[in-house]
Amino acid sequence: MYFHAGLILAVIAVTFAVAKYFKLSVELSMLLAAIAAGIVHAGGAIPVRHLVEGSFTYLDVCLIFITATFFMNLLKESGGVAFMVRKIVITFHKTRLLCLFFLTVLLLIPGALTGSGAATVLTVGTLVGTVLSYMGISEKRVAAIIFICAAMSAAAPPVNLWAMMAAAGSNMPYVGFFQPLLVLSAIGAFFAMFFLGAKGKNVELEKALKELPEPPEKMNWLRVGIPFAVLIFLIMAGRIWPFSTPTIGLPLMFVLASVSAILLSPKKLQILRIATETIHSLIPLVGIMIVVGILIQVMALSGARGLISLGVVTLPLWVLFSTLFLILPVSEGLLQYAVAPLLGVPLILLFNMKGMNAIIALSAMAVMWPIGDILPPTAVVGRATVMELKFKGHYYKDFLKTALIPMGFVLLVATLFLIFSNELSFLVGG
Amino acid sequence: MTDRNLLIVKLVSLALVAVALVIAGIQFHDHRNYQEEVVKGPGVTQVKKLSDYFEPLKGSINDCNIYIIDSGVPGGTAFLIGSSHPEEPAGNLTAQLFVENAKLAKGRLIVAIRANQSASRVSRPGDAYPLYYTIETPWGEKKFRMGDRWSSPLDSWPDPEVYVNYPSGQLLAYMDVRNFNRTWPGRANGMITEQTNYAFMNVIKEEGVDIFIDLHEAELEYPVISTIVAHQKGADIAGMASMLLTSTEFRIGMEYSPKSLHGLSHREVGDHSDAVSILLEAPEPFLDRVRGITDEKLLLTGQDEFVVMAGKYGLLYEKIDEKGWPIDVRVGRHCSTVLMIFELWGDFNPGKEVVIQQVPRYDEVVQNGTGYYFRDPSKAKTEDIYYE
Repeated sequence: MYFHAGLILAVIAVTFAVAKYFKLSVELSMLLAAIAAGIVHAGGAIPVRHLVEGSFTYLDVCLIFITATFFMNLLKESGGVAFMVRKIVITFHKTRLLCLFFLTVLLLIPGALTGSGAATVLTVGTLVGTVLSYMGISEKRVAAIIFICAAMSAAAPPVNLWAMMAAAGSNMPYVGFFQPLLVLSAIGAFFAMFFLGAKGKNVELEKALKELPEPPEKMNWLRVGIPFAVLIFLIMAGRIWPFSTPTIGLPLMFVLASVSAILLSPKKLQILRIATETIHSLIPLVGIMIVVGILIQVMALSGARGLISLGVVTLPLWVLFSTLFLILPVSEGLLQYAVAPLLGVPLILLFNMKGMNAIIALSAMAVMWPIGDILPPTAVVGRATVMELKFKGHYYKDFLKTALIPMGFVLLVATLFLIFSNELSFLVGG
Repeated sequence: MTDRNLLIVKLVSLALVAVALVIAGIQFHDHRNYQEEVVKGPGVTQVKKLSDYFEPLKGSINDCNIYIIDSGVPGGTAFLIGSSHPEEPAGNLTAQLFVENAKLAKGRLIVAIRANQSASRVSRPGDAYPLYYTIETPWGEKKFRMGDRWSSPLDSWPDPEVYVNYPSGQLLAYMDVRNFNRTWPGRANGMITEQTNYAFMNVIKEEGVDIFIDLHEAELEYPVISTIVAHQKGADIAGMASMLLTSTEFRIGMEYSPKSLHGLSHREVGDHSDAVSILLEAPEPFLDRVRGITDEKLLLTGQDEFVVMAGKYGLLYEKIDEKGWPIDVRVGRHCSTVLMIFELWGDFNPGKEVVIQQVPRYDEVVQNGTGYYFRDPSKAKTEDIYYE
């Protein structure tokens, strides 16, 4: 069995490498690797049922981030995001720290709702970046801030895709993660913002406002706030009145919040265009979720998943504690969300067996993973950041290097959460 | 790549996906609609439907059979259910073995073989479960559906943002609204799994069930394994059963049902009815995350090198060697444990005995195989065949 599972892993690695050599995307490379592994396992046949079944593994998660991203895009298109940024700047331009604080909060929202750091960059990243640049913060620091905050927003609750996928794979409820994820992601985001953006000046109000897009005249806090209120109400109603509230699921909650955003928008929104663009922008993310499901299914079928799990759970804890801060971001850069079920599930298993608090431990890992979205070969959020901000510097020497200290800080804090998971178990909740 | 070539690639990809969906779709359809034959045993006096106890379930996928084996002699009433979690096959196999063999000398036995039909008609994406497994019998192979832990999303969707157990208010994972052993005691106007639990509670109340047993299996990585979990009302019986079985047949533990853990049968059935509630766990290496190749062989033999290795590192809560945990051993454990609990129930509750005959104990099941005790449907009268 060791040989067979090892062979399957080798087939996956070789097929993936060859496909990447021929410049195929990560999703397609992974799909080919899964199909090749399935064929080798089945002795030449194609395990069609497993390929199809695996592709449905994260269907619900996909629906959540598709509808959530649609919701955020509607707010952006209606001018709601620009309105919020302008209001923050106008209100706090004389108090630099408060301005930075509220801009950080704003940066955390899109990723927290969608689970995607790219969503943060695409919806609010550019606007906040513009404001930061008028606060005397250098271009490379602005880019680093936007990336770290975007990564932390993806890690922030309620939607953390890494934690959701790893929890689902471990038969572990995705319950109790809200507080630890919030604490970790907030620490990371605020540290990045204040460490990199502390020095500078107050906002050059007129210049900043001139460059920020003008929201429609009739836009106001009610029009921006009610869609969020609808979403929060729907979520909380299911918890406060669980036995009299119909079960509609998170995707429909986002859709209903989207409907309220459409109705309250001061300008007529091109819904079909926004929906089309949302889906188009999410194709890589949806694609990778589908393919990861297929790959995991084939690995489970062939024993390759078991071999990886066995390899991980038999490692001494000190080895993991001293290497995970490197392994997790690097593997994220290589495989993106695939690492959550692949490495996360056996790690959760091990932490459970060792009597650690699995919720705190998984929260810590789920904050380390998005940090890797700046690393090659995928570097999805990192690339989106430099593209959206029209960053002119060097990706590694300027952008990545500037982000290193906040990245290290986040990884250090997350590692401490991992080591002291039991002591921090009071954080579990939500 | 030119636009024309790109279009061709897209069309070919679309066609391949469509073909794959059709092939897989047919298999899923067949699996969902596959009917397992049950031959009514000599003791079965009546076969009712779950909807007889809760009308809204009539015609739904979870309207399972309720087999009643009545001795006609006054005594107690016991209720045995399998397939709360259909990925734990020893449960439904044991329940079916009772239906096809048990005769009662005293009292009544009620059996549900497939308590959560919906979950038995779906597989689990990402885990590569086989769709079926077959048990060798003296008259050929008998085929069973392999199911999942959760009801099918086709019958219960979407899931809530978080599942709140009724009436305790305890927060559980969103998907556990489809977990039959997290939705006790059920809710009349809840999702289908909650409604099913509600119907089962009605069975327990209307039939005056004295003792209720829920059959399960567990991964070796899980601490609650090879054990009897008992509501405090049944702690004395469970403790005694554990001692007697350990000294005479096989090692089995006993645990109290935690009072603060809601939604599970061993807690809620005891809390919300007069019945004593007990849950049995047998070891099933197939469920372990470190398992190797996921196939029917592993499901039935329980032999896995990776799980054995995990055991050598002290990562398991139950022993395992190269012999594994074959299905006959697991079914045999359930048979003996159920029989022992009923015997002790009678001893503790004179006048409420449930005396069961013709059901094999552990040694016999291991020696003859589970399939030995299944009746041949081809030799049975049509009216004696029921479908699960």
